[in-house]
Amino acid sequence: MKRLLSSIRDGNGFDIVLVAFPLGFLFLMAGLPLLYNILMSFQEVDMFSLGTFLRPFVGFKNYQDLFAQPETWPILGNTAIFVTGSIAGQFLIGFGLALFFWVNFPGASWLRGLFLVSWVMPGLVVGAIWNWILSGDFGVLNFMLRETGIISGNIFWRSDPNYSLYAVIIANIWLGTAFNMILLSVGLASIPGDLYEAAELDGANAWQRFWTITLPMMRSTIGAIVSLGLIFTLQQFDLFAAITSGGPNNSSNVTQYWAWDLSFRQYDFAKGATISVIMIVFVMFASVVYVRSTRHEVRG
Amino acid sequence: MSDTNRNRLMLVIAIVMAAIYLFPLYWMFITALKSGSEMFATPPSFWPSEPQRSTYAFVWESRGMGRYLWNSLIIAFGSVILITVLGVGCAYVLARYRNVWVDIGLFLILMLQVLPASLMITPIFVGFSQLGMLNYPRLAVIIAIAAKSMPFFVVLVRATFMAVPQELEEAALVDGNSRVGAFFNIVLPLARNGILVSAILIFMQAFGEFVYSKSIIQAVELQPASVGLNSFMGPNTNEWNNIMAYATIYVTPILAIFVLLQRRIVSGLTSGAIK
Repeated sequence: MKRLLSSIRDGNGFDIVLVAFPLGFLFLMAGLPLLYNILMSFQEVDMFSLGTFLRPFVGFKNYQDLFAQPETWPILGNTAIFVTGSIAGQFLIGFGLALFFWVNFPGASWLRGLFLVSWVMPGLVVGAIWNWILSGDFGVLNFMLRETGIISGNIFWRSDPNYSLYAVIIANIWLGTAFNMILLSVGLASIPGDLYEAAELDGANAWQRFWTITLPMMRSTIGAIVSLGLIFTLQQFDLFAAITSGGPNNSSNVTQYWAWDLSFRQYDFAKGATISVIMIVFVMFASVVYVRSTRHEVRG
Repeated sequence: MSDTNRNRLMLVIAIVMAAIYLFPLYWMFITALKSGSEMFATPPSFWPSEPQRSTYAFVWESRGMGRYLWNSLIIAFGSVILITVLGVGCAYVLARYRNVWVDIGLFLILMLQVLPASLMITPIFVGFSQLGMLNYPRLAVIIAIAAKSMPFFVVLVRATFMAVPQELEEAALVDGNSRVGAFFNIVLPLARNGILVSAILIFMQAFGEFVYSKSIIQAVELQPASVGLNSFMGPNTNEWNNIMAYATIYVTPILAIFVLLQRRIVSGLTSGAIK
C-alpha cells in the first residue's frame, strides 16, 4: 500500500493515474455507446423496450428494412453531394485565400485570423443568419443575384427541392472555409523559401513554381485537410436543423440528420442506430486517412 | 511598383475580401436594428434608417434569454472544468513518453474525436435513460460534451506540453521534487497559456452546442440558448429582426473573446491540429 502511494506520488504510478481516469471516462462515454449502437442496430427497439438491455434480437432485419425504404438511396446520394460540394468549395476558396495571404504584407496575419469568426460561432446562429439571407422573397442573396443579372426570378432556396440541399451547402462552405484557409496557411508557411529562390534562378514562372513546388510540398497537408473536411462535414448537423430541417420532402436530408430524425422525431431508435453504424464506418475510414497523413506529428 | 504601394494594395484587397466574407455577420447586426417593415423592404436597405434599439430588450424579456444564456453558461463551464481536469494529465503523459503505447492511445483518441455527435446521440440517449441520467439533463449534456470534445482538447494541450523542455522537469526532480511536485510547480505553470487557450476553444464550442442539448433536455427552463434559438425559428417565421437580435445577444460575447484573443487562439489551434 505504501509502495503504491509512493509510486503514485513519485513514480510511474503518477503517469498511470493521470492516464487511467481520462481513458476510462472516454471508454465509458464514447467507447461503450459505440458498441451499444452496434448492439441496438441488431435489436428491435421501441418505446416499451427502451428501458431494458435484453431486447428481441432481429439479426440484419433493421439493415434490410432500411435499404427497402424508398428514401434511403436519395438521402445517401444527398450526403455524397453535400460532402463533395462542401469540401470542394471550402478547399478551393480556402486555398485561394491562403495563397493570397501568404504574400506577406502588414496586417495579413491579423486579417487572416479574423476570418475564423465563422468557425467559432455557434452552428445554430450561422444557420439562422443564412436562413434569413437565403430567404426567398426578402433574402439579400436573391437581391444581389438579381441586381447582378445572374438570375431573373427569385430562387426559393429553402422550399424548392432542387435548391434546398445547395442552400445548406452554401452555408457550410462559408462556415468551413476559414478553418481550411488557416490550416493551409500553416502548410504553406512550412515550405522552405530557398526552394522558390532556386526555382526562380532556374527561370520558373509563378505558375510552374505553384505546380512543381507548392502542390507537391503541400501533399500531406492537403490530404489531412481533405480528410478533416470529410470528418467535419459528416458532423454537420446544426445547419440542417436551422435552415431546412431536411425538407422539403427529404430533398435536403443527409444521413447524420436523418439518423437523429428517426431516433428523436419518429422514435425509431433501432433505425437511427443502424444508420449511425453505417456512417460511423465511413467516418472511421476518413479518420484513418487523416491519422496516416498526420503520422509525422503523431510519431513526434 | 514600390514595396509600400504593393503592401497598401494588398491590404485594401484583403480588407475587401474580409468584408465580403464577414457580410453575413454584418447582416445579422443590421437586421436586428431594423423595424418590422424596413426588414421586408425591396430593395433591402444596407443601413437601418431608424435603428430600433428597443428590439434587444424586447427579445431578452419575451424569450427569457437570461435563463437560456445562464443554462448555456452552466453547460459550457461544466464541460470545460470536466475536460480540463481529466484532459490535462492525459495530454501530459502522452507528450512525455514516446513509445508504441502512446501511439496506440493517441490513435484511439483521434478516432473518438471524429464520431459525429448526431450519430452518437442515439446510444447515449438510450443508455442515459436506462441509467436514470435523464433526471439530471444538464449534467448528462455536460458529460456527453466532455466525451465528445476531450480528444480535441488532449491533442491541443499535448502540443503545448511538447514545447515545455523536459530538462526543466528533470532538473526539478534532481533538486528533490517528487513527480507530483514537479508537475504542479514546474510543468503546469509553463504550459498554462496553452491550456487556457484550449479551454477557451472548448468553452466556445460547448457554449454553442446543440445536438445533445436538444435531444436530452426536455424541460424548457433547463435548455441552453442554442435550443432556444431553434424553437424561436419556426418553419414560417417572419420575425427576422427579433431572431437576429437574439442571435446578436448570443454571439457577441463569443465574438468579443475571439477578437481579443485572436492571435493566441489561432496559433493554439494550428499547433495542435496539423504540424
